[in-house]
Amino acid sequence: MLQVDRLTRQFGDHVAVDGVSFDVPDGQLVGFVGGNGAGKTTTMRMIMGVLAIHGGEVRVDGRPITAADRRTFGYMPEERGLYPKQRIVDQLVYLGRLHGMSNAQARSRTLEYLERFGLADRAKDHVEKLSLGNQQRVQIIAAVMADPTLLILDEPFSGLDPAAVDQMADVLREQTRRGVPILFSSHQLDLVDRLSDSLVILAKGRVVAAGTPGGLRAGAAVRHRLVLSGDAGWTRDLPGIHVADVEGSSAVVEILTPGAERDLLAQALSRGTVHAYAPIVPPLSEIYREVTA
Amino acid sequence: MSSLITDPSTSPAPRTDDPAPAVGRSRGKVGAAWPIVATREIVARLTDKNFLISTGFTLVLLIGVFAFQAFMASKTSTTHVAVTTPAAAQIVQSTGSSGIPGMSSSDIAPTQVPDEAAARAALEDGSADAWLHETGGTWVLTGKDEPGSQLQSSIGAAVSSHVLAANAAKAGTSMDTLSAGSRLTVDSLAGETDSTGDAIAQIAGFVFAMLFYFASLMFGMAIATSVVEEKQSRIIEILATAIPIRQLLIGKVLGNSVLALGQMVLFVGVALVGLSFTDYGSFLPSLAGPSAWFLVFFLVGFVALACIWAVCGSLASRSEDLQATTMPMSLLLVGLLFLGMWASGTTKVIASYVPIASVVTMPARLLDGSAAWWEPVVSLGITVAVAGGLILIAERIYRRSLLQTGGRLSIRQALQVQE
Repeated sequence: MLQVDRLTRQFGDHVAVDGVSFDVPDGQLVGFVGGNGAGKTTTMRMIMGVLAIHGGEVRVDGRPITAADRRTFGYMPEERGLYPKQRIVDQLVYLGRLHGMSNAQARSRTLEYLERFGLADRAKDHVEKLSLGNQQRVQIIAAVMADPTLLILDEPFSGLDPAAVDQMADVLREQTRRGVPILFSSHQLDLVDRLSDSLVILAKGRVVAAGTPGGLRAGAAVRHRLVLSGDAGWTRDLPGIHVADVEGSSAVVEILTPGAERDLLAQALSRGTVHAYAPIVPPLSEIYREVTA
Repeated sequence: MSSLITDPSTSPAPRTDDPAPAVGRSRGKVGAAWPIVATREIVARLTDKNFLISTGFTLVLLIGVFAFQAFMASKTSTTHVAVTTPAAAQIVQSTGSSGIPGMSSSDIAPTQVPDEAAARAALEDGSADAWLHETGGTWVLTGKDEPGSQLQSSIGAAVSSHVLAANAAKAGTSMDTLSAGSRLTVDSLAGETDSTGDAIAQIAGFVFAMLFYFASLMFGMAIATSVVEEKQSRIIEILATAIPIRQLLIGKVLGNSVLALGQMVLFVGVALVGLSFTDYGSFLPSLAGPSAWFLVFFLVGFVALACIWAVCGSLASRSEDLQATTMPMSLLLVGLLFLGMWASGTTKVIASYVPIASVVTMPARLLDGSAAWWEPVVSLGITVAVAGGLILIAERIYRRSLLQTGGRLSIRQALQVQE
């Protein structure tokens, strides 16, 4: 398990990351969400030791992280790092060997992954000749090929088409099944919602919300949509509920006093037909907007 | 947002229940990574077309120079001088002995023609290059155009000794009596001088200086470029988290040093072999020793310089910055080049003990014979010690500046960076 504890980093007077704490449990895919400049990349770079930590600490399995720990991690930096003028296969074998694999091992693993991503016929091309999406595939191969003990991926999904996203997600799921904790950042909230076991929302260098997508939703005010046969304007006068919106025969209500929904439904039934009464599950983006506002 | 596949009540995502044993945290001991880095550097260069072409071009040039030399040495052109009298023929024949042995590439031979008209015809049709004849007690050399200056001086000298000998005989004495004691003999306190050997030593010194300059600049820039390339593409973030930065520096420096030394051995080897085919082959034994010393000095000096080149690369953030960060190194090398080519006397002796400068000046002193056997050993010791120190300092700066990507750094700034 990776534990980030009150991590802080300043650039001059600007506090980029301010006491950020969260856990990435073994076998979990944790989404790291936040706007530009929220501090996601800075936090990830501190975890990887690329940037000095100004406060707090990073722990692995309960003890402070070491350079030796980091050497077993897979890392995908925000700015894609690969040698532009080197053959893909040579490059991956090189990175695999730096992570302690034998030449034969690194080569067979490289070819295996290239095959899987449909890049086998491009193995001898230079990286700069690949499309951005394919460069990203090569990048993820570099991160996972040496069986890392933890994965830190900065925007692994940006710029990928839906098929590539699924491929990438499969690869990540494989890793979590091995028990690898994964922290990945993304701007795409629906993707984070769909893929991650839990998420950490960062704004202005601080954690503003964290938990499972479901848990975060449960924390938000529960609203219901009521659809009637006639006009729904009368709901505004009922006590114990807050009417967020009325549009013709449809109303969005928030129950303030428990039990108020019984009066609401009884009245609705006495006035005509009730077509629907259902909870509204708020989209993650709405929660995100609320917590980062 | 339509795809809500989770809700509060269910487990957030599919997860295997069995504990995954695949992840072992005991790993993390990576064996020495520098051989892997060094190998990549070497392979990357050896598969780089530009590198192969420039090496091949230099080799062709080198071989070409020696082939040309050998060709010129083997080619002796004969200048034909038309003569009508036995006296003139004798004068022309006597020019052969006045040539410098081994250096003259042109022979002068008489061509007997019956009369003046035939001589003029021979000049016209090119079968003779000049015509030597006596007119009213004066020897005249006639050409179609003005005869070449070399021919003029050769024939001139022959004519003058012929006439002097004739005049001496008329006066009842001989040339030997007349010229007795008139010959100037040259001597020096240093013993017998060998002007050709000195010239060779000087040329070899030039060559050493040029080789060191070009190899250092070429491979140095290659190192700096490869460092900044890693910074610019940010692969450095992956490398720095995968292996200790010291290993990265060692691999880079050694890989390029092996390449540079290999190329140098190739060039020096070809030059020495080429030399053996020319008239200067006899100087080979005296060149071989200093050449070997040069290679040893070159290796040590290059390793030290390579570390500094790596620092130059690490101070830049983009390849555009390289021009500025490598400027001091380029200037230093130009300085060393001129020092190596022109230094003499005390300056040269001092320079031969100054690290890096000694790479060129000590082999040059060995060549001109002014250095005792222990001097290169002491100088090499100093170079090794200083190189060691430079490597340590360079590693510190390299490590600190490598992950700074916010523009160009000065060495002072780099040292202030928090690790």
